[in-house]
Amino acid sequence: MANPKRYAMVLDSRKCIDCKACVVACKAENDVPPGVFRNRINAEHGGAFPRLRASFDPEQCHHCDNPSCVRVCPTGASFQREDGIVQVREADCIGCKYCMIACPYDARFFNEETRVVDKCTFCAHRVDRGELPACVETCPSKVRTFGDLTDPRSALHALLESRRYRVLKPQTGNGPQLYYLL
Amino acid sequence: MREPVWEFLIVNYLFLGGLSAGIFFVSAFCTWLQTDGKPVYPRIARTGALLAPWPVALGSFLLIFDLGKWWRFWKLFVIFRWESPMSIGSWLLLVFTGITLVNLFAWLTEDERNALFARIPARTPGRARILALNRDLGSWKRRLAMLGFPFAIGVGIYTGVLLGAVQARPFWNTNLVAQLFLFSALSTGTAALILARMVEKGPRDLAEFRFLYTLDICLILLEFFIVLPYLIHGQLSVLAVREALSLVLGGPFTFIFWGLFLGAGLLLPLAIELWEFKPVLMGSGTLHITRGLAMTAAGLVIFGGYVLRYVFVFAGQASGFR
Ligand code: SF4
Ligand code: SF4
Repeated sequence: MANPKRYAMVLDSRKCIDCKACVVACKAENDVPPGVFRNRINAEHGGAFPRLRASFDPEQCHHCDNPSCVRVCPTGASFQREDGIVQVREADCIGCKYCMIACPYDARFFNEETRVVDKCTFCAHRVDRGELPACVETCPSKVRTFGDLTDPRSALHALLESRRYRVLKPQTGNGPQLYYLL
Repeated sequence: MREPVWEFLIVNYLFLGGLSAGIFFVSAFCTWLQTDGKPVYPRIARTGALLAPWPVALGSFLLIFDLGKWWRFWKLFVIFRWESPMSIGSWLLLVFTGITLVNLFAWLTEDERNALFARIPARTPGRARILALNRDLGSWKRRLAMLGFPFAIGVGIYTGVLLGAVQARPFWNTNLVAQLFLFSALSTGTAALILARMVEKGPRDLAEFRFLYTLDICLILLEFFIVLPYLIHGQLSVLAVREALSLVLGGPFTFIFWGLFLGAGLLLPLAIELWEFKPVLMGSGTLHITRGLAMTAAGLVIFGGYVLRYVFVFAGQASGFR
């Protein structure tokens, strides 16, 4: 049997122009109801006129290695696939929202239409067909690189080897798998 | 600040679960304490046995009602996940509620049991089998008390573990929260019994009140000496914890924490109870029981227990890592 994959995403935030194409693509791809989002752009503005600074960090579920959301789920509805993708099995979720509270990244939300908890799936349905997540495919400025960490030939690997990066809130011990290039 | 995910229903449920645990614990303690083969404080034991099941039953109902898909709640009982405090807690609640109900039944007098069973309509299917359940369980009282102890403690502490286990919320992520909730649960239970014994007519049994007061004073003090280390320890901890504590140290929850919980809900009733207890402490007489004061103190303890849950549920959710 082949080694299990480990999917992750590298984000080159400096290329992000806050166009929100990824946000729209995700909503369309995954039928996310109005008012809630599976991904977002964290915008930060600083400095004083005329020297202004703006930074945009796209964020979504980090598909943590050691996901606290999965740990606290009483029914096992939140689970981690072999390939690292963290999912919510809709049929098992009772909507207790414990996982929402346990996620340090506030990546989860309550879906009023399905009455269960929802979040980014890394577009697992597309990935399983060999395609890229919708946000990755859409991004006009090529901020996002998706791939398998265990595959040394992947573009993701090359980026992490050649560039410096950080992850968000490493101190929570969740082992987030969104890598932000510096 | 992020929007709270868990709201008042959860606050109510944490409070009610703890209240039942406390009432049962004190009642069971009074059943277990015996001289000459008889419970020392049978009236507290009985009052507690009759009251204990209801708050937790109401609380569980609220909890289920709060689920996105409440009709799936049975899934909690076909899957057991030891890593999830909610999974452990659901089982604890189920068993505990069962024990409190059997225990209530054991404390019913024969007349009460007969009256209860007489209400079953004649055409209920399986009536004969239900009637066969009308048995005297009086001799089980002490065994039920002992069986219930660990579950009452479990329910009292687990509401705190439920929050404390969430490492993403620094306001909660300490084991002190579990102890604090436990002592608060036991204290609100004791206060509820003081109230219940007060409203009942007839002569007051001073020994009973002396017992309840002693217990409550100890519990309030224990609670207080958990709040202090909680604050001190947090202040000496990492930035995220200090920031979380700033929610009650100058932040939006400051008044609720210091004024309503610590002041009105803990120290004020402690002062009243100590005042009533003073003659005993000084060795100069028996305790006063001023009805108004005693009921105020007990009411404040219960209020404080509620505010504690409120502050923790909401401040905890407002806390996070940056
Ligand atoms: S980011 Fe949150 S929801 Fe996603 S895997 Fe990590 S803990 Fe779970
Ligand atoms: S809301 Fe659903 S996925 Fe989240 S912890 Fe509860 S049962 Fe699990």
